[in-house]
This record gives sequence, C-alpha cells and structure tokens, in this order.
Amino acid sequence: MPFLDISSVSKSYGTQGVLENINLSIEEGEFVVFVGPSGCGKSTLLRMISGLETISSGTIAIEGKVVNDIEPAARGTAMVFQSYALYPHMTIFGNVSFGLRMARNTKEFIASKVAQVAGILQLNKLLERRPGQLSGGQKQRVAIGRAIVREPRVFLFDEPLSNLDAELRVQMRAELMDLHRRLGTTMIYVTHDQVEAMTLADKMVVMSGGRVQQAGPPLTLYDDPDNRFVAGFVGSPKMNFLPVKTVEPASGGVQLSGIAGNGTAFLPLEAPGLIGPIEIGLRPEHIRILPASGSEAGLFLEGRVTLIEELGSESFVHLDLDDGTRMTVRAGRDADLSAPTLRLAIDLSHALLFGIDGDRIRSQSGPRA
Amino acid sequence: MTVVTTRPTIWTVLKWALAILIALIALFPIWWMVNVVFSMPGEPVSLNPRLWPTSLSAGIEKIRVIFTETEYLRAYGISLIYAVLTIAGVLTFGSLAAFEFSLFDFPGRRILFGIILLSLMVPTAVTIIPTYLLTSQLGWLNTMHGLVVPGLASAFGLFMLVQFMRAVPKDMIEAARLDGASHFQIYWHIALPLCRNAMVTLAILTFMQTWGNYMWPLIVSSKPQLYTVGQVVGLFNSPLSHQTVDMVMTANLLAAIPPLLFFLIFQRKIVEGVAMSGTKG
Repeated sequence: MPFLDISSVSKSYGTQGVLENINLSIEEGEFVVFVGPSGCGKSTLLRMISGLETISSGTIAIEGKVVNDIEPAARGTAMVFQSYALYPHMTIFGNVSFGLRMARNTKEFIASKVAQVAGILQLNKLLERRPGQLSGGQKQRVAIGRAIVREPRVFLFDEPLSNLDAELRVQMRAELMDLHRRLGTTMIYVTHDQVEAMTLADKMVVMSGGRVQQAGPPLTLYDDPDNRFVAGFVGSPKMNFLPVKTVEPASGGVQLSGIAGNGTAFLPLEAPGLIGPIEIGLRPEHIRILPASGSEAGLFLEGRVTLIEELGSESFVHLDLDDGTRMTVRAGRDADLSAPTLRLAIDLSHALLFGIDGDRIRSQSGPRA
Repeated sequence: MTVVTTRPTIWTVLKWALAILIALIALFPIWWMVNVVFSMPGEPVSLNPRLWPTSLSAGIEKIRVIFTETEYLRAYGISLIYAVLTIAGVLTFGSLAAFEFSLFDFPGRRILFGIILLSLMVPTAVTIIPTYLLTSQLGWLNTMHGLVVPGLASAFGLFMLVQFMRAVPKDMIEAARLDGASHFQIYWHIALPLCRNAMVTLAILTFMQTWGNYMWPLIVSSKPQLYTVGQVVGLFNSPLSHQTVDMVMTANLLAAIPPLLFFLIFQRKIVEGVAMSGTKG
C-alpha cells in the first residue's frame, strides 16, 4: 500500500474543471515534485492534500486512511507557503511555536522543541526577532521551522523558493535536500521551475491542463518522456522538435523525409503502419556543430545563427533552419561560432518520435525509440 | 554648496492665509471659553472686553463649584461608562463581523455587506424613533444597557475594519489553520493583532462620537441619575437655567476637555484612520 495515495481525484469550481482524474502513489520518505506551467493545477493538488481545498471527487489517503473529510491540522501535513506566511506580530519563537501552543503543549515541551528545530535550521540567534527584521532566506528557514516543529507525516512546499534571488535559491535548494536526507520525511514540493524539480526530486510529476502528464524519476522523464509536452518541458534548453514525414514503412525501421526542408533519414524503429506527418525530438546535446569545411557522412542540417547565449563553460546557439524551424544547440568553448550559418550533424540514435496528437511513438519491438 | 531659496508664490500665501483664518475661526470659541472661565465674572464681556484670562483662581473656584455643587461629576462618570462600554462593544462586534466579511466566503456575504453599507446612508433621525420604541418595549428606558446597546452595531466601524482585514494575507489564515488554530483562535491570535492600529483608531473615533452624543441619551434616559455630560451641559444652557454665563462656560469647557485631550494625543491616528477608511466618522 502506498504511503500517500491519490486516487481518481478531480477538482472543479462550478463548471470549471481544474484537475481531472489524478492518480498518484507516493512512497514514504520520497521527495516528490509537482512541476508544470502556471495554471496547471499543481498548487491546487497540493492544497487538496493539505486540506485547504475540498476534493470534488476521488480520494486522498495517507497511510491507508482516507483524509478527504479530515481537518487540515489533523491530517499530519505541514505546509510552507510561497509568501512564507509568517505572523508579523509574533517573534520567531512565537511563529515556530504557534502550532504547539494551539495544541496546548506545556511550556517546557514547547521550549525544547523550538530549541531543537532552531538548532537544525540555525535559527538560535533569531528567536527573539520579528519576521520584518529577517532576510528572505532567514524567513524561509523560519517557515520551514514552523512546519518541522509539528513533526508532520508529509511536508508540503508551495513554490517556497520563488521569492528568493538566484544565488539564495541554489543555497536553499541544497539545504532542503540536506533536510530531507536528515529527516527522511515525505516531502511534496510544487514549482514551475523544471531545473528545481530535476535537482530536488526522487519522483517528478509533470502536470499540464489539470492532468498528470507523466510521473517518474527525473532522468527517466528526461530520457524517456511519454509525450511532446513532457519532452519539451523537462530539460533546459528545451528539446528541439523537427516536423518530418514518414514515407512507406521500411523493414526494420522508419523512412523519414522532409527534415528541415528536404532531408531524409532512416530510423531503426519498429513502427509498422506509421505514415504521415510526425515530429522528431532532439536534445540540444545530441546535435553537433560541424566545422565549416568537413566531409562527414550522415544527416546534415544548415541553420542561420540568430542568437548565441554565452554561459562560460558552454554556449547555447539558437538557429533558424531553412524551413523556418528553430533549433537550439549546445556548443563547447572550442566550437567555432563565427560564421553566420552553421552546419549541424544530428544523432538520430537519440531521436524521439511524436505523433501529431503529441503522444510518443515508441518502438513496438524494444523499450527505446 | 548653494542654498536655493524659492520665493513663495501668491497662491501659497493665499493658501496659508486661508488656513490660518479657518484655524482662528475654529479656535476662537474654545479660547473664548477659557477666557471667560479664567476671569472675574463679567470681565470679558464688559464694556472693555478682554481677550485673555485674568484670574486663575476665579476659574478654579468655578470648576470646584461645578464639581461639588452640581451633578456634574456623576454625569462625567456616566459618560465615561457609556463611552467605554460602547467602545468595547463596537470593537468586539465590529471586529468579529469584519473578520467574517473580509476573510471568508459565505452565502449572501455581498448582499449582507451591501445592506450594512446602505445603513450608513440612512440619517439617524430616521432610525431614532423605531430604536426608541424597541428599547422601550424591551423595558430598557432609563437603563445603562438602553443607553449603550443600540450603539454597539456600528456600520462605520465594520466598514473600517473590513477595509483593514482585507489586507491580511489569506496565506496567513491558512497557515494558522494548518497549525491547528480554531476559527476563533485565528481571529484572536492572527486577525485581531494585525488590525491593532485600526482598532485603536476606531476606539478613538467611537469615544469622540459617544462623548459628544446628545440626542440618544436625551431620549432614552429621563432620569437625572443617568444624565450624561451632554445632558447636564444642556441643563446649564437651558433658557430657564439660573446659572450665570461664566458658570455655563465652565460646564462647557469641562465637557470639551476629554475629547480635546483625546484629539491632541491621538491626532495622527485619527487622521490616519479617517484617511484609511475613506470616509468620516
């Protein structure tokens, strides 16, 4: 039995559907990240787990017990909000201990628990201050402390790092990972930042349009996405998509034509009956920039450079192909990017195929395609 | 470094002149009261009127007479109790209602709030007779609760507190819910402390209004034991009163001192409160 089981859960406001038939299993101690664009329903799902939002249909069970009708505080969940939601009129001690005071614990117990949490999060020197006197990172730590002190079964994080600057975000990310390792508690984290999701998650749940598009370990989603949305959403820079046509099915593979205009290629993928327009997906690292004067075999494309993003150790080169398709290529420091047009070699062994409905076309004989 | 001085424009001079004139007009009656009280009887209004006090001891003697030989001191007490109970009630009911109206959704919330706001536009004169009849039927005439209770539900106070509580982030309320706080505990521990400034402002405005309220105490209590300062001052001012002008002025001055002091101490909060609520009390 999964630790947290979300079964056929839907949510609607009047006639407006927000979440549709969500099914998800979360194991104890897992770090799960809900990721997706704004408005995909990830925060709503988190709030439904916390009890702050009602469930229109379906069930949410924690340790086998359905919690649909259980009050938020009694569910054993604790939430860290994007805005921190600290009580500005209370000291940090007051903020962290608020839940314990509401539960009518003794003063000694409260003091020892707060001291313990303050030790974990290095808040000892801040306990007498008020939230207004703290920096963003410190406020975030207090918000986490307020959650930890209640010893919840599940931690819920609603975009907790969004209000921090880039440097602090990376630091807090590392602290969260460390905290998860030390506490070993189940954590569910909502973000729209796929880099954050990739770095934090044991299990990444990509959502769009109120549905779970795919759930699994981050690298599985990166390497083996179920559909075009997941392929495009996971990874930075995002996957390149080239519209192509499959012509008569060849034995032992698929014959592609119309790649960036009139390129053709053979893909060793068992997909009988596949004829018509499709898309091939290629990660930027699977495209190589060729020297201006080269004579290598294989499929070449030519693209006009529109933008080069220098990142120090590498560059992202944005190009327009002849048929207007835009591509992004990862280039090393040694690549010669001075020419206005570049020749590209694509590694079709890593290419993924997507039908016009956005679903992945998988090999019918093997796991990979 | 050069100091740049700009010559005041005619417009600025006119503005200041007008402001000073209005201030003089507003202050003169108060000054005149002080002048009459702290002078020998009849002196300021003699053939050669004086604009400044001449006798501190005469003033003190008049105050002593008012406090010891009339019912003034008891009226002071009644007014004070009336004001304190009204403030407590207005703050309690106003903040409880504002908490619900501003932070929670319930069926009919908008309509109910609209009705309450509409009541702000109904003049007191229209509601005073039905209120009197109700108070009378309850047998509350000539009682302290008859004096206080009808003034406890303040639409103005509710409106002002709602404006404030709307600024309390929803996340904070939800965080408290997750922390296990009950509905009342959220109100008590979160919403109320966050609205402390608004509560102080409302308390001050309610005090000013209650202290100066003449009509309702006059209607509801005919027994002299329940007279407020306003009614006692009214007796001093009445046409058949045997009091001399300087004694009447002393009674008036004593009645004006508490709100004046209040205003001087809390001036900033009052102005802030009125500005924030976007209306006047």
